[in-house]
Amino acid sequence: MPSDSTPLLQASDLTRMVSTTAVVDNVSLSLQRGEILGLLGLNGAGKSTTLKMLAGVLTPDAGQISIAGHSLLDDPMAAKQQIGFLPDQPPVYPDMSVAAFLKLSAQLRRVPNNAIQKQVNTIMGRCELSSVAKKRIGKLSKGYQQRVGLAQALIHKPAVALLDEPSNGLDPQQMQSMRTLITEVAEHSCVIFSTHLLSEVTAICNRIAVMHDGKLVHNQRADENLDQLQNLFNQLVQKQSGSAVT
Amino acid sequence: MIGTIAKFESGALLRSPQTWAVFAVIAAIFGYLFLQSLEEFLKVQPSLALQDHPPGLTGYLSARFLATLAPLFSVLGPLFAMRSFSDEFRHQTMALWQSSPISNLSLVLGKFVGVLIPLTLLALLAVVMPAAMGFMVNIDIATLLLSAVGLLLVAASCAAIGVYFSSLTKQPMIAIVASLGVVTLLWLLGGASFTNPAMLALQQFSITNHLSGFFQGYLQSKDVLYFVLLTALFVALTVIRLGSLRNSGHQ
Repeated sequence: MPSDSTPLLQASDLTRMVSTTAVVDNVSLSLQRGEILGLLGLNGAGKSTTLKMLAGVLTPDAGQISIAGHSLLDDPMAAKQQIGFLPDQPPVYPDMSVAAFLKLSAQLRRVPNNAIQKQVNTIMGRCELSSVAKKRIGKLSKGYQQRVGLAQALIHKPAVALLDEPSNGLDPQQMQSMRTLITEVAEHSCVIFSTHLLSEVTAICNRIAVMHDGKLVHNQRADENLDQLQNLFNQLVQKQSGSAVT
Repeated sequence: MIGTIAKFESGALLRSPQTWAVFAVIAAIFGYLFLQSLEEFLKVQPSLALQDHPPGLTGYLSARFLATLAPLFSVLGPLFAMRSFSDEFRHQTMALWQSSPISNLSLVLGKFVGVLIPLTLLALLAVVMPAAMGFMVNIDIATLLLSAVGLLLVAASCAAIGVYFSSLTKQPMIAIVASLGVVTLLWLLGGASFTNPAMLALQQFSITNHLSGFFQGYLQSKDVLYFVLLTALFVALTVIRLGSLRNSGHQ
């Protein structure tokens, strides 16, 4: 396990092309234990593509990614054991029960057999899923399904949690619980979560990055230049008139 | 890890009511064909007895009952495999596998073995029918087992074709149509009477040419190798396809 000063996540010059357009353009990020990075941007800014590359779902056209000291491109198995990923659409199976799905997720993340049941119970408790453990996922509300998605990403206590719009479908009370959970997770790992809500990142993040047109246009501590961030984001919102950003 | 994935895949198939509906229909077809073959055997038994080396009941049922099931198994393979990846694309669950510490090869093999489990159950069901005759008459178990191996190999290779085509599309129907196209071609190659040397060489790739031995009680390594290679080819193509998904991002 790397020391506290070693970045748990180090991404340098990540680039992803679609045809001749760079949807992610030279993005570099570095996160240490305890950091919660809010990746802010409007729709189409490149947030999801960046997270997919960091999770190993997409291969970058250029750049390097290191997760807890393991190169994601050269040693993907070791690196992925340290990643928890929640995509924008929770990857859940409607015909499975919550407990069975989380057990499968734990097995896929190579949680030792003797620890699986304990981990499943713990994460169900933390994500407030214990009451629906035996229910089929397809029968649950969108908010519950999102929490199941969050639980699968965190079940193996990853060093790096990558959450793509984790508050999707959650009511205000659930959003508050989710924020508390993310803060707890960040005690022993680092978290990146993407959103297009400025209020959400300012509420829990200690670092904020803004993406626009595939580029990182802002990457600072959350307590630095908050006015500048607010102005920048307002400008971006105005540029993309007609978008559903609030 | 392959075992975990196979358990998940076969579990998903066995939880589906459609699978059990297929099982019921197939069991009925097996039963009908078995009884028909048995009746035929009883009719031709006196004339068979006049031959120098008449086939026994096992030989007759292997050639007339189990061999006729091979085309059915080559349809069942793609039928059970058609959802293996297309459903993952449709339900946007591929990210779960792609972000987990699993190699593409393990994922494909896990899915493939998972599809093979219900097919194995069906192959066993097919063989159990003639084997049950063993309570009344002498049965050549080795011949029956060899027929079961033949059925499994043809089902496995066609399932591998199905798994590959399901990795190409979100639509299971497109996957099965494309798979059956290739499977049909592999069957038809054996029935055509070519004169051109190139086409004759192509005929060596036919399923028909490599299957008959299994039902006649003799095993040839080249036949086993054919099915193993056919399966390996499509497993490898699926692994390549999954690798390319990470590069293209299209699903």
